Amino acid sequence: MTVSTSYLLYLVFAVGGVGVYLLLPRAQRSARAAGTLLALAALAALLVVLAVRMLGPGPTAGYFYVFATVALAAAVRVVTHPRPVHCALYFVLVVVAVAALLVLQRAEFLAIALIIIYAGAILVTYVFVIMLAQQRGDAVYDTRAREPLLGVLAGFVLMAAMAGQVDRLPLPRPSAASPFTGAVLSISPQGLPAGPAQLPGNTLTVGQLVMTKYVVVLEMTGVLLLVAIIGAVALSGKRVPVDQPPPTWVVGKIGKEVKPF
Amino acid sequence: MPVVAAIFQTQLFVSVALAVVALALILGATAYCIYFERKVAAWIQDRMGPSRVGPWGLFQPIADGLKFVWKEDSFPAHVDKLLFVLAPTISFVVPLVLFAAIPWGGQLDVGGGNLVEVQVANPDIGLLYILGVAALSVYGVVLGGWASRNKYSFFGGMRACAQMLSYEIPLGLCILVVVLTMGTLRLEQITAAQTGYWLGFIPQWNVFLHPLAFVLLFICMLAECNRAPFDLPEAEQELVGGFHTEYGALKFGMFFLGEYAHMITSGALISVLFLGGWHLPWLAWTQPDAVSWGAALCKIVVLCAKVCFFIFVMMWIRWTLPRFRFDQLLRVAWQGLIPITLALVAWTTGLLYFGVQRSPLWTLWGNVLILAAALAWVARARTPVTGRQDNLPPVGAGTGGAG
Repeated sequence: MTVSTSYLLYLVFAVGGVGVYLLLPRAQRSARAAGTLLALAALAALLVVLAVRMLGPGPTAGYFYVFATVALAAAVRVVTHPRPVHCALYFVLVVVAVAALLVLQRAEFLAIALIIIYAGAILVTYVFVIMLAQQRGDAVYDTRAREPLLGVLAGFVLMAAMAGQVDRLPLPRPSAASPFTGAVLSISPQGLPAGPAQLPGNTLTVGQLVMTKYVVVLEMTGVLLLVAIIGAVALSGKRVPVDQPPPTWVVGKIGKEVKPF
Repeated sequence: MPVVAAIFQTQLFVSVALAVVALALILGATAYCIYFERKVAAWIQDRMGPSRVGPWGLFQPIADGLKFVWKEDSFPAHVDKLLFVLAPTISFVVPLVLFAAIPWGGQLDVGGGNLVEVQVANPDIGLLYILGVAALSVYGVVLGGWASRNKYSFFGGMRACAQMLSYEIPLGLCILVVVLTMGTLRLEQITAAQTGYWLGFIPQWNVFLHPLAFVLLFICMLAECNRAPFDLPEAEQELVGGFHTEYGALKFGMFFLGEYAHMITSGALISVLFLGGWHLPWLAWTQPDAVSWGAALCKIVVLCAKVCFFIFVMMWIRWTLPRFRFDQLLRVAWQGLIPITLALVAWTTGLLYFGVQRSPLWTLWGNVLILAAALAWVARARTPVTGRQDNLPPVGAGTGGAG
């Protein structure tokens, strides 16, 4: 009797959820070893299930396992590490590993966009803010998870629900002729210069699609970003007129500043 | 041995060989960059410079390198050890990884009519790869400053973070001007597209199309390399040593070499984007149809000469110009460079619509107009562009007023 892949995945996620629950930072660190063991077991089991039931051998399969392992392990460390700066750096590692997975799917443009936007801009800003916000060691709210049970339940139930559907999706199975699965390759690149050294890249294809089929979405994103910029400008404080004398601030008796009448 | 010959003729073999050779050469070149820097500094300041180790002091970098290696690899007691080691590693590795996408020597005929690229990798996203990986280099400086647990280091790291984030935007916009003009992200194609001539004698280098973008890109690259006058993160007079105050021995050496490797990469990138890469006018061996071994070598030498030129200019600037103040530095980026580069991108987009983006007449008109508009704006602005902010609320006057 063969068990369906969905149930195997549910089991894997249950084990992984318990492991991550035990790993989440809390006051007493008694169950960390058990949590690490469970999480590693779930990771290994997930990779085995993927290898046996879904992926099969391919020329880049080894890279997939390496980068998937790095991404998952780093993602777990993002939520379990007690120090926020390290969490943010593990997030950078997740982003880089996922970008590598995208390169394996020949989605080079998406991969490098992910790195430029997330690792290069957004997370640097996060790290900047975290470093400035916490200069006196670790705060209590960082060393203890606030709602470990609810968080783990919500996250892993969601993941299991999504992964359980994978079995029923009509995904293209890999073969020797086309070892790459996924939707990216089904976009046919048009007008690419043919040559011996030219791999079929997808920057041109993505650009064509974004500028024709999805142009409304693109414009809406632009409007949204513009609104965000205007909001940031409006929120970012009052202007100090340079050519006017500054208001004279008076220091009161108990050391607080008092605004003059 | 046909099998061995076939292996030698593949792109993979050329790529791997080039990666190994380039890595070794660049490691040596960074060491000699430091020697060159000291000699240039001495020349500008009317001194001798290093002259004791070997003839003309030529073995000085080797002695310095040995000293870095043999010193005690110490950790201050209070540092975050993992990040303390990770930071110089990032600073050192990122510029080296960037070399992979630089087209060193065009195409090469390895025998049997097989053309391979003298380039480690020629990805479809070439320029974006360089932008993306270069964006990671900010982590080295920031983490070095933070992991040291030292206020001076921390200030250096924070300055570096704000500075590199700010200057990445005009840098990307300048590169976008080139991408819009050339219509490709592949550095090899960008180089090859610059090999023609206008009026039969002016090489079609992008610097003649967009001189303004060229200058602004060079300024941004100085800031990205933390070179003077943008070396606020390691300002000795203010921050002891900046982000590397707590570093010594090999870890400091890696920061040091990383900075020079970053200079070489920046020089190579700006040469490829604006000065035609390996192309030199009227030299038959540097034309795109020259594919012999000698031609490839000649192209590599030409590109290296251009890189050396940029490194010399960077050093010249360092020993000539004083450092910015930090508010001036950020104001230059946000109120000066970003509007100008945005206007350049908008102008180039307009030219692209009419299909004249590679006509020097139109691009030069745009450059002149934008420069004139910027100067007029500065002239009629009521607030001084530089100068002390005497009218801000006094220090310690609460949070109500400071903008």
